[in-house]
Amino acid sequence: MTPAGRLMLLKPSAMIGLFLVAGWLLVAAFAPWLAPFDPLASLTPLASPGARAPGGGTFWLGTDLLGRDILSRVIYGARPVVGLSVLATSTAYLVGVSAGLAAGYFKGATDAILSFLASVVLSFPVLVLYIVVIVALGASYANVVLAVTFGSAPAIFRIVRAIALDIAGRDYVAASQAQGERAHRILIQDILPNAAPPLLVDYCLRIGYSAITIGALGFLGLGLPPPTPDWGGMVAEGRAMALAFPHLVIFPCLAISSLVVGLSLLADGLNAEGRRG
Amino acid sequence: MAEPILRVEHLSIALPAGGDRAHAVEDVSLTVHRGEIVCVVGESGSGKSMLAGAVMGAIPGDLKRDAGVIRLGEIELTALSEPELRKIRGNRVAMIPQEPIAALNPVVRVGRQIEEVFALHTDLPAAERTRRALALLADMHLPDPERIARSYPSQLSGGQCQRVVIAMALALEPDLLIADEPTTALDVTTQAQILKLVCELRETHGHGVLFITHDVGVVAEIADRVVVMRKGQLVEAGEARQVLLAPAHPYTRELMAAAPGMIPPPHRPVTGEHALVARGLTKTYGARQALGGVDLEIRRGETLAIVGESGSGKSTLARILVRVIASTAGEAHVAGVDMLALKGEALRDKRCAVQMVFQDPFGSLNPRRRVGDMIVRAGVLAGARPVEARRRAEELLELVGLSKAAFHRRPAAFSGGQRQRVGIARALAANPDLLIADESVSALDVSVQAQILDLLRDLQDRLGLAILFITHDLRVAAQMGHRIAVMQHGVVVETGPAAEVLTRPSHPYTQALLAPHRGGSWGRRWRWGEPLTLSPRRGERAG
Amino acid sequence: MRETLTDLARRAGGLALTMLVVSFLVFLTLELNVEGVAVKVLGQFSTPDQRHAWLSENGYLDPFAIRYLRWLADFVRGHWGTSTYYHEDILKLILPRLGASAILAGGALLVMIPMSLILGVAAGAKEGSALDRSISLVSIVTTSIPEFATAVFLSAVFVIGLGWLPGVSTMAAGLSLRELILPVSVLALASTGYIARMTRASMAEVMAQPYIRMARLKGASPARIILGHALRNALITPVTVIMLQIPWILSGVMVVEVFFAYRGFGTLLYQASLNADVYLVEACAMVSVLAVVVSQTIADLIYVRLDPRLAPGGGRHS
Repeated sequence: MTPAGRLMLLKPSAMIGLFLVAGWLLVAAFAPWLAPFDPLASLTPLASPGARAPGGGTFWLGTDLLGRDILSRVIYGARPVVGLSVLATSTAYLVGVSAGLAAGYFKGATDAILSFLASVVLSFPVLVLYIVVIVALGASYANVVLAVTFGSAPAIFRIVRAIALDIAGRDYVAASQAQGERAHRILIQDILPNAAPPLLVDYCLRIGYSAITIGALGFLGLGLPPPTPDWGGMVAEGRAMALAFPHLVIFPCLAISSLVVGLSLLADGLNAEGRRG
Repeated sequence: MAEPILRVEHLSIALPAGGDRAHAVEDVSLTVHRGEIVCVVGESGSGKSMLAGAVMGAIPGDLKRDAGVIRLGEIELTALSEPELRKIRGNRVAMIPQEPIAALNPVVRVGRQIEEVFALHTDLPAAERTRRALALLADMHLPDPERIARSYPSQLSGGQCQRVVIAMALALEPDLLIADEPTTALDVTTQAQILKLVCELRETHGHGVLFITHDVGVVAEIADRVVVMRKGQLVEAGEARQVLLAPAHPYTRELMAAAPGMIPPPHRPVTGEHALVARGLTKTYGARQALGGVDLEIRRGETLAIVGESGSGKSTLARILVRVIASTAGEAHVAGVDMLALKGEALRDKRCAVQMVFQDPFGSLNPRRRVGDMIVRAGVLAGARPVEARRRAEELLELVGLSKAAFHRRPAAFSGGQRQRVGIARALAANPDLLIADESVSALDVSVQAQILDLLRDLQDRLGLAILFITHDLRVAAQMGHRIAVMQHGVVVETGPAAEVLTRPSHPYTQALLAPHRGGSWGRRWRWGEPLTLSPRRGERAG
Repeated sequence: MRETLTDLARRAGGLALTMLVVSFLVFLTLELNVEGVAVKVLGQFSTPDQRHAWLSENGYLDPFAIRYLRWLADFVRGHWGTSTYYHEDILKLILPRLGASAILAGGALLVMIPMSLILGVAAGAKEGSALDRSISLVSIVTTSIPEFATAVFLSAVFVIGLGWLPGVSTMAAGLSLRELILPVSVLALASTGYIARMTRASMAEVMAQPYIRMARLKGASPARIILGHALRNALITPVTVIMLQIPWILSGVMVVEVFFAYRGFGTLLYQASLNADVYLVEACAMVSVLAVVVSQTIADLIYVRLDPRLAPGGGRHS
């Protein structure tokens, strides 16, 4: 069945997830066309949701302390969160899958060394790891990607290694070996395609985890330098006045929660679908 | 005649809509009397296990009994509520399950698991429950019952677990014992002991036994009466002797004919050149020796059958010869080259000379690849040009009895037997000098098994293949092997022409392996040294 | 007994090796660039001369390996240096903060463990039921919401909306249970769903095992099957996973402490990182890794104790 056809069979909760994820992808892609205001422009400070803007138009979600339109900032804020979490998760996958396949197929010393390194990195709580990297290298897009790659790759490695170990013991791999197939071709032709379905599920979930950590870094003020709108950063900025103006923090929180919930529901649906067929 | 214990009348169990048939069990009636063993025999999907579940009132949640009555003595089981049934289960009807190890809770000591039956159905005090559990274990001829009772299932062997489960079943002297393929997961020698125990217990306890099996050999061994099932329907029922020796229904005849007998074909010495000469094959894992210096010779056009129980090292041997695992020592000459000494590029060039057909038809084909692609690729790796390999792949599919359309399909579209044909085609695409079949038919139903064995013999005649045929099943070995080698604990204990090994075994271990078939062989009872000439169907069952 | 001892020795060795590699990585990342260290310690506006003088005075011009070994020796002896931000001895600074965070994490575990196990067992006992589906859905949603967002949502309801609870947990007037409720709930919510889903999967797998069918065929009631046969097997994995959750909880603790201005280990590391307090970051990183590694070792030991198949001599002899 085609991938698109499979998606049509998902259960309702997963369809909601797909809808949320696709929605945020579109918002991130078309932010300049969707945002009613310039996200950096100071207009009316602390306007409440629904207030009229001075030059016409409405601040649907209100404005922040500096008078910037929150809806526009939430829309633009999708870009770094979606973009960085997809990019960082993909680079982490590149590293984790290559190392995991090698360890699971070749076993022996390769496996022992890679597994030990993974366990070392995994013994850092993720945020602590990111803080060490960012204190040493400074906060920037590239360093956030680097930190997330460094933090996620070992977990991906473990999953891939376990799957590769399992598949490497199947008889069709033995058959390929007996025919004289080369290792790289066995990895690509026999192991990777059969490992793909669970990895796709994990990939979806992990983009969500990355979004959570990128949001948390933003919230801690360790992510992207201001004034870039990012959801975690918006919560950090608005937190001091949240008691009086809850709209400052509620909307960016709803944004990041809906994105991650969407990814998790989609992953759950793909998982159920994978076990069924 | 003794009183009837179990009466199943016109039982039907519906399958959920959309399956390949409407009923898992359809209009089946049978009776089991006190002290009688009734065997229900059938291939996979015949509904025999569902029938057993129905008697216990335990059919899977999505299925429903839509007609029929089941009576245990005077009690109508089918009219009971779940709490009422619970009082019957384990008490008046008990089950011996298929996989004894899996049927025991891994985190509870086995003694406690037996005591649980008393706790569930009686008011006995704890000390008495413990005493009775130990007595039961002793009755099962288990050595040191105290130690066994204290053990967790993972500390016991499969045969010991099976005895524990039987003890559990007999705890409350049930009227009816249901045995669902109780010996399938066990080695031949253990299997024989368990069957003996079942017969013996029937004598002493006088309960009725409903024995579910796919194995005609087991039926011959223990059955008083036989019920043959196919696709949920009862095909034939009657006295064991009559059903086995003069089956009335064509399907029963087919089943009996397909079940390999213990009669080897007359010795046909093969005199071609050697396809394989192996010397001193050894494999050690740390201190454990899996293979302790095995010598083998196979000629072109000859089949050497290797027989052994699980753990005998026979699969290790196969995997060393195809170089999937490394040997510790030894050499294997194929077409004048020592396969085990080759490395890197030289090895890749020569690998096609030895190919293997695997045991599990579901695990040996990559589910993501098209059948044609696999066979073509095997040819290309053996040095053929792609166009040539493709033409050859189509020929091979035809040769193994598959249609041209199979070329573009993925493994999921095929049955177990068809997959084994694909596996054979893939192995042949490499033009091997030696074909290794490692338990290649043991996962298949007997009728399919017979077809695959026929195919292998036919291919051997046509292509002059040398075949190393590995099996745990003596009857299959008897049919396939020109010569037979018996393996135990990593060494070959006996080797020789098939007829000689089977009729005049010289090694005690071979004799032990053959013992269960002596007299139990449903063709006729035969003794050591007696020639095996009578064909199974015309012979007479003594006793 | 002897096997147990060698096993313990092996684990302790592994633990020490991991810590050694971690210490090297931490030191390498933070102190390879000595100029950077000088800037972080002396501040942005120090002159190159000042930095050079400071570097040579503190042995920073020695080769990297020597500096590392010296640092390691100091670290092992508990000489963790002085915080450049707080101007206090780091060990003295860390210990009370660790205690405060332990209260928070302990409170979260206390809520999370019973809740997640009960929900997971209830869901897994009848796979596919309405109860199962709703528990699973709620679990997915709660685990997917970042801690800072959960904190915002809970505050919006209980602080702004209902006015029941305080919005900050500074513990200015000593330990206050009321101030603990929100941070503990946020932490517990994030992990409960995950463990509940794990428990559910484990329970569902166990319920499909032949020994459960066997128990049924022995005449056991559904309650007895679940309590007597399924539970012990189904809890092996989640109990282990709870220990493996510790690194996640530590990350969450940091966000939650910062959000509620709770003076724990997390805010300490947060302040250290904002102020580029290199030595304090090093010490905090080492302490948190130690906590993780120790908890994982405990998880391994629990796992072996719970599953007789893994005990020494418990393997199949065939």
